[in-house]
Amino acid sequence: MDWMDLIVTAVKTIVIYLGMVQVVPIMLIVERRGAALIQDRPGPNRVGPFGLFQPIADVIKMMMKEVAVPKQVNKALYILGPFLVLFPASLVIAALPFGDFFTLFDKNYILQVANIDVGILYILAIGSLGIYGILFGGWASNNKFSLIGAMRSSSQIISYEIPLGLAACSAVLWYGTFSLREMVTGQEGTILSVLPNWGIFYQPLGFLLFFVAAFAETNRLPFDLPESEAELVAGFHTEYGPMDFGTFFMAEYMNMATMSGLMVSIYFGGWHLPWISDATLLQWLGSRNLVALIQVLTAVTKIAFFMLVFVWVRWTIPRFRFDQLMRLAWKNLIPLGLINLVITALVLYFKGAA
Amino acid sequence: MDAFLPVGILFICALLLCVGLFTVKRLLGPRNPVASKLSVYECGVKPEGNARAPFKTGFYLIAVLFLLFDVEAAFFFPWALVYKESLAQGPGLLIAMLVYMGLLVLGLVYIFRKDCLKLN
Repeated sequence: MDWMDLIVTAVKTIVIYLGMVQVVPIMLIVERRGAALIQDRPGPNRVGPFGLFQPIADVIKMMMKEVAVPKQVNKALYILGPFLVLFPASLVIAALPFGDFFTLFDKNYILQVANIDVGILYILAIGSLGIYGILFGGWASNNKFSLIGAMRSSSQIISYEIPLGLAACSAVLWYGTFSLREMVTGQEGTILSVLPNWGIFYQPLGFLLFFVAAFAETNRLPFDLPESEAELVAGFHTEYGPMDFGTFFMAEYMNMATMSGLMVSIYFGGWHLPWISDATLLQWLGSRNLVALIQVLTAVTKIAFFMLVFVWVRWTIPRFRFDQLMRLAWKNLIPLGLINLVITALVLYFKGAA
Repeated sequence: MDAFLPVGILFICALLLCVGLFTVKRLLGPRNPVASKLSVYECGVKPEGNARAPFKTGFYLIAVLFLLFDVEAAFFFPWALVYKESLAQGPGLLIAMLVYMGLLVLGLVYIFRKDCLKLN
């Protein structure tokens, strides 16, 4: 790896990272306007055209507010908390593929931060570190609401990690690889030239499990027990100031983007356009880099669609009760995950034997 | 090792973002501490007792069960990776996994029978 490679890789990494951070302001306005749309009210529409500058106003307001560290907290853990959530949420995007590759100075660079061959394991491992931030923050706040929120959050996240892992395991079984890039490559083409060759048609149950677990992992509404503002004030971030709250929120939106990216990569063909293969695209457009652009746009559109689904579900489905939440994970999702694994293994066996 | 170099770059980016947010927060926000502002927030009512109290053992039990099941589920991953290639050598790996999964399901049934997940 020479200097040129290093510079291109660094610029690519920074661009992808900044792109992921941009998810936060975009989602701020999309979520508020989306909520307004669903609840039949105008929503924030005063700042700029159609209220598009609202996120900027929100961020400035958060920054200018007072930083009050309450007296009863354990200061080190309290300050560290939000950053321990944001940090893993930023790191997980490394394994998400956004496209095949682009060519620069006669060299090919992949459209992914790093081609990690254990991509799925990397995302599951780093992604679940975020729970330490929530637990530290909630406990160090020394507030009953925070403590209950943190306890709920940790038991919820660890419980839903098992169905998530089992669903991902079935996908690994089906594709025979840990690498998300190879999984996406394996989804090119069509099934009997009718349906796109996407994972969802092979792993429908796995997708359902993954989808439900993704909501619980990101603390989104049907499962937002850790926050549940009606019962716990604000859950684990009750004692935090506006900018710390903003940090938790950034992490939440970035986790949502990662989960959407995972779903798109495993079950919805990643950067592939349905029914149009990359070779055909190359024939039409003639340039490798144009194809790469189309691929990135496709992947981003798919991810954006799932982000919208997250917002849509949030304002449609009411919150679960805590024991219902635990029952759903342990009594329904985990057995279903095991069944899905067995079915996948059997299908592969009979397919191989035939 | 080359594959993980960009992760290092990302690591630095993420660190910079965290440090940046922290500094911005410290520099821009005003400071005006008042005793009531710095006390525990319990909806404006006078704070009662301490949050460093014992919590329900149910949460602890879930953590223990998670450890068991997640470690066991982690054993599925290497199996899933080599399964497709091993198909040519007969159903040995499939049967081994079904036996292992049977043990896992037995454990799950035991948890349900003992009502370990009762939190309310």
